[in-house]
Amino acid sequence: MNRLLPKSAGIGLRAPHVAQVLAERPPVPWFEVHSENYFADGGQALAALDRIRADYTVSLHGVGLSLGSTDPLDTGHLAKLKRLAVRVEPALVSEHLCWSSVNGRHYNDLLPLPYTTEALDHVCGRVSAVQDFLGRKILVENVSSYLTFPETTIPEYEFVVAVAARTGCGLLVDVNNIYVNARNHGIDADAYLAAIPPSMVAEIHLAGFDASGPCLIDTHGAPVAPDVWSLYERALRLFGRVPTLIEWDTDIPEFAVLQREAATAQSYLEAGLAVAA
Amino acid sequence: MLSLRDLQIRFATTLLNAGGDEIDRIAIYRNTVFANYRNALGATYRVVQQIVGVPFFNAAVDAYVRDCPSTGGDLNDYGGSFGDFLATYRHARELPYLPDVARLEWAVDEAGRAADLRSTPESLLAALGTIPADRITALRFALDPTCRFMDSAYPLLRIWQVHQPGFEGDIAVAFGAATDHLLVRREAGDVVIERLAPGDFALLRALAGGYDLATALDAAIAAEPTFDLGTTLRTCIASGTLTELRGE
Repeated sequence: MNRLLPKSAGIGLRAPHVAQVLAERPPVPWFEVHSENYFADGGQALAALDRIRADYTVSLHGVGLSLGSTDPLDTGHLAKLKRLAVRVEPALVSEHLCWSSVNGRHYNDLLPLPYTTEALDHVCGRVSAVQDFLGRKILVENVSSYLTFPETTIPEYEFVVAVAARTGCGLLVDVNNIYVNARNHGIDADAYLAAIPPSMVAEIHLAGFDASGPCLIDTHGAPVAPDVWSLYERALRLFGRVPTLIEWDTDIPEFAVLQREAATAQSYLEAGLAVAA
Repeated sequence: MLSLRDLQIRFATTLLNAGGDEIDRIAIYRNTVFANYRNALGATYRVVQQIVGVPFFNAAVDAYVRDCPSTGGDLNDYGGSFGDFLATYRHARELPYLPDVARLEWAVDEAGRAADLRSTPESLLAALGTIPADRITALRFALDPTCRFMDSAYPLLRIWQVHQPGFEGDIAVAFGAATDHLLVRREAGDVVIERLAPGDFALLRALAGGYDLATALDAAIAAEPTFDLGTTLRTCIASGTLTELRGE
C-alpha cells in the first residue's frame, strides 16, 4: 500500500532507536529512513524495517545517488533503490540536489552544485531518468553548502524551483538548510521561501547545525535552532500544512529527545491549521 | 567558464589535496568527508579501533581512503579491503594479527547483511534422498548465503571475544597457540562465529568454492586425516550451513 505521508511531524529513524521503536511502538505519525541503510540483501536491519513499515508510514530518503554528478547514473545503485521501494512501498522517495562522485570515485558526502544553466539541464535530465527508472515521482531536497561557485548565475531557489517545474518532481524543502545557506552566503531566507510555489512542496526537513566555526555546518547533531523554528513557522504560513521531519544524525540522543522535537514541530503544524481555519 | 564536469574534477582534487584558492571552504568538506569515513569504518572495525586506539585508527582510515577510495554511493559497502590495506600499512607492522582482525570484522559485517536463508534442512534431506549412492560424491552444495570463512595464524576468535562489549574476565590472549579456522554466519538473525575443526573447515570452504563433494572430501582428509564425512554432513545439514544441491 502506498500510503500518503501524514501532514504531521515524523522522525528520521536511525539504527540506535530501531529496537526501542519495535518494542514500544511509540505514537509517531511516520518515519523516514536513509535508503542506502537498507540496500542489504537480507539481515536484521531489513527485517526490522519490514516490521516497522507494517505499522507506520515510511518514507525513503537517499543520501548516495549522486544525482548531480557528471558521471553516468549508477544503475546498480538505482536498482537497489527500486528493489527497496518495491519491498517497503514508501509514501515518498527523495534524493538530494547535489553530487557525490566524479571519475568513478565517491566522496559519500553531499557536495554542492554550481547553479548554472548547464547544471540545471544536467540535473533535470538525471531527475527525469531516475523517475523513469523507479516509475514514480521523487522529491529533491535543497542542500546546505559552505561555499558558492563563481560560475553560479542562477539563485539557488530559482534553480530548485526550475528542477521541479521541468521534471515534475516534488520538493523536499529543508528549512534548516535554507537558514544555513542564508547565513553562510548572505541570502534572504524569506525571499527563498516566497519563491517556492506551495504546490511543489511535499515535505519539510528540520535539523540542527553547528555554529562553532566560521560558517554554519549542517551537522544534524543538535536541536533545531530558535531562528529555524521561526523560519519554519513562516514557511508553514506560505506552504500550508506539510509533512515535516525531524532529522538527527550525529551525536544521536535518546529517542525521547527526537519525540520532543517532533512535538514542537507538531504544535507549529497545528497552530498553522488553527490560523487557516 | 568551467564546465560542470571540470568543476567537479577540480573540486574533488582540491578536496583530497589541500591547496588552491578555495582551501578554506573546501577544507570544511574535506573534514566532513574524512570524518564520515572514520565514523563508518569505526562502526564496522570496532575491535581494530579498540586495539590501536582512535587517533591511530583515524590516521589509518585517512590513509586507506586515499589508497582505496570508495567507488559507490552506499557507505555500508565501503571498507572491505581495510584488512588487506592494514597488512601493507607500515605503521601497523608491529601488530601482525591486525589485518586478520579487520578481515574477521568485515566477514561479520557481510554476514549481517547477506541474503536471508530460504531453505530448510528437511528440503535438503528430501533432495538427497533421491540421489543414488554412487552419485553422492559428484554432488555440489549451496551454502547458507551468510557463511564467511576466515582462517588465521593467530588466536583470532579469542582476540575478537575479549574486545566485545560486556566481556568480563581475563583478557589475556595466548599467542603462539593453535591457528583458528572460523566460520562466520547468521543464526536466527544474529551473527555467530564458530571455531571449526580443520577437516570441517576445509570441506565447507571447498564446497563454498563450488567444488564437488569428492574434491572437498580430499581437502578435508588432507587437513585432518581422521575426518568423518558422515558426521560433518549431518551436522551441517541440521544447522542449515548446507542449504541445497547445486546444478552442475
